[in-house]
Amino acid sequence: MTDARTARRIRAAIAAALVLGLVSCPAWGGDSARTTLIVFAYHAALAQMWNLLAGYAGLVTFGQQLFIGLGGYTLAVGCERFGLGVPAAFALAAVVTGGLAVPVGALTFRLKGGYFAVGSWLVAEMFRLGFGNWGFVNHASGMFVRPARSVDPWLIYYVAVGLLLAMVGLVIATLRSRAGLALMAIRDAEDAAAGLGVHVWRVKLLAFVVAAVGTGLVAALITVQTPFIQPDAAFSIEWSAEISFMAVVGGLGTVEGPILGAAIYVVLQQKLGGSGAIHLIVLGAVSVIVMLVAPGGIAGLVRDRLGWTLVPIERRPPVRADRAP
Amino acid sequence: MTMQLLEILLNGLLLGGLYGLIGLGLSINFGTMRVVYLAHGDLIVLAAYFLVVALVPAGVPALAAAAIVVPVLFGIGWALQRFVVGRSLGRGILPPLIVTFGISMVVQNVLLLWATANARTLQSSLASSGVHLGGLTVPTVRLVDFAVGLACLAILLAVLGKTALGRALRATSDDADTARLMGIDPRRMYAIAAGISAATGAVAGVLLAATRTFYPTTGSEMLLVAFEVVVVGGLGSFTGTFLGGILLAMAQLIGAHALGPSYAQITAHAVVLLVLVLRPQGLLPRTAP
Repeated sequence: MTDARTARRIRAAIAAALVLGLVSCPAWGGDSARTTLIVFAYHAALAQMWNLLAGYAGLVTFGQQLFIGLGGYTLAVGCERFGLGVPAAFALAAVVTGGLAVPVGALTFRLKGGYFAVGSWLVAEMFRLGFGNWGFVNHASGMFVRPARSVDPWLIYYVAVGLLLAMVGLVIATLRSRAGLALMAIRDAEDAAAGLGVHVWRVKLLAFVVAAVGTGLVAALITVQTPFIQPDAAFSIEWSAEISFMAVVGGLGTVEGPILGAAIYVVLQQKLGGSGAIHLIVLGAVSVIVMLVAPGGIAGLVRDRLGWTLVPIERRPPVRADRAP
Repeated sequence: MTMQLLEILLNGLLLGGLYGLIGLGLSINFGTMRVVYLAHGDLIVLAAYFLVVALVPAGVPALAAAAIVVPVLFGIGWALQRFVVGRSLGRGILPPLIVTFGISMVVQNVLLLWATANARTLQSSLASSGVHLGGLTVPTVRLVDFAVGLACLAILLAVLGKTALGRALRATSDDADTARLMGIDPRRMYAIAAGISAATGAVAGVLLAATRTFYPTTGSEMLLVAFEVVVVGGLGSFTGTFLGGILLAMAQLIGAHALGPSYAQITAHAVVLLVLVLRPQGLLPRTAP
C-alpha cells in the first residue's frame, strides 16, 4: 500500500510541476519560450484527440485535417465575413466541427478498419477541393483574419495551455467512466462489446464528435495565432502524418504518450526547420520504426521496463479483506 | 450534344480501365492479408518517376523501360512486405496502417527531394494521336489504358483461378492458419501478393505517365482513386473493381465537363459518398477474390 501511495505522490508531484511550469511561463519565459510552448500545447492537444480515437475507440483515422480546416475556417469566416468577435468565432468553431462530425461519422462508420481510415481522409480531401473552389472564402489563395492580429499572444498562450489541460482532464475522466470502459471494449473486440450491450455506434460517434470539437478548437486557436488560413495547408494530409507520429512515438492508448510525442515533435521541428520533405521523411520513417520495434511507444517502454505509468487508467481490482496480506 | 455526351462516356469507359487497374492493386493486398495498403498510390507514382526521370532520359526506349519498371516494382513490393509491412501484421488494424502510411510519406518526400515538385509526363506519340471510332475521337493513350488494364485483370484472374500459386494465395486469403497446415507459408504468400500488387501498380504508373502529368503528391490522389474504385465496386470483387473504375472515371469527366476542370475530382468524390449512402456494399460485392 505504501508503494501505491508513493507512486501516487510522485505522479501528483510530476503533474503539479508540469502544470505550474506551464502556468507560470510569463514569469520565467520570454517570447521564444512562449511560441515554443504554444506550438507544443496545440500539438499535444491534437495528438490527445487522435489518441482518443485511435488508441481508445479503435477508430484509426487519417482524416482529422477535416476538423482542423473546418475549425480554422469557421474562425476566419466568422471574423472576416460575419463580423463576429474573435471569442464568438472561436466558440462557433466548436459548434460547427461538432455539428458536422455527426453526419461525417454516420457516413464513414459504414467503412470498417483501414477503409474507415481512408474514407475519413477522402471527406477531408473533398472539403479541401471544395474550399479551393469557393469564392466566398477566396478560393485557394486563402484568407487573412485581421481582427485576430490584435489578440495578446499571452492570451493565446493561456488558451492553448488551458485547452490542453482541459482535454487531458476530459480524456482521463472519460476513460475512468463507463463510457471509457465501453470505448476500450470496442477497441479490443467490437462484436463482443456489442454482445455485452455496449451501444457501439453511439459510443463511437460520441468519441468522434468529442475529438472533432477538440481538434476544431485547437485549429481555431492556430488560426488566431497565424492569422491566415489556406485550404491546401488547413486540410492537408500532413496534419495526419504529424498527429499520428506524435501519438505513436509517445505511446498509443496512454494519456501521457501524446504529450511526450508532442514534446519530441517540437524538438524535432526545431532541429529540422519546421516543414519540408526531410521533416516528413523523418516523421514517416520514425513512425514505421517505432511501430515495428516498440509498438507501445515511449510510454509503453516505460510501462514494460519500469512497470509504471504517469496516468494510470486501469482500475485496480478491490482487494478483498480475507485475501489481504 | 448527344455526340459530346457519348464522347465523354466513351472516354470515361476507357480511362476506367486504368482506374480499375489502380484499384486492383489495393484489392489484391486487402484480399490476401486484410491490409489497406496506404502506400499503394505512392508505389504507382514511384514507378512513373522511375520511368520518366531515370530510364527514359538515359536513352532506354519507353517500352523497354516499362518492361524494366514492372519487375523492379515487384521486387520493391516483395521486399517491403517481407522486411517491413509483414512485421506489423497480426496485432490489429493499427500497426499496418501506421506502417504503410509512414512508407507513403517517405516515398512521396524522397521523390520530392530527388525529382523536385515539377510536373512530369511521358512524352510519346500515344498522347498526341487520336483514334476515330464511329464518328467519335478518343486519344490513343486511353485505348491503351483500357486494353492494358483489362489484360492485367484477365491475367490476374487466370493466375488466381488456374495455377497452383493462385490456389495457394486464395487458401491463404481464406484461412492462413489452415493453409500453413497444408505446407503453405503465409508470409511467403503475403510477400508474393504484395509483389504482384506493386507490379500492377507499376503498369498503372507507366500508363499514368503516358496519360497525364503527375507530381510527387499524386501518390495520395492515386490512393484515394484506388480506395474509391474498391468502395464503389464492392470490397474484394475484381470485376466490380473495374466497374467501379469506369463509374469513377465517368464521374470525373462529366464533372469536369459540366462544372469545369477543377471540379473533376470533387464530382467523383461526391459520387463515391453517394454510393456509400445508398449502397454501402458496393456494386458487385463478394468476400474473396
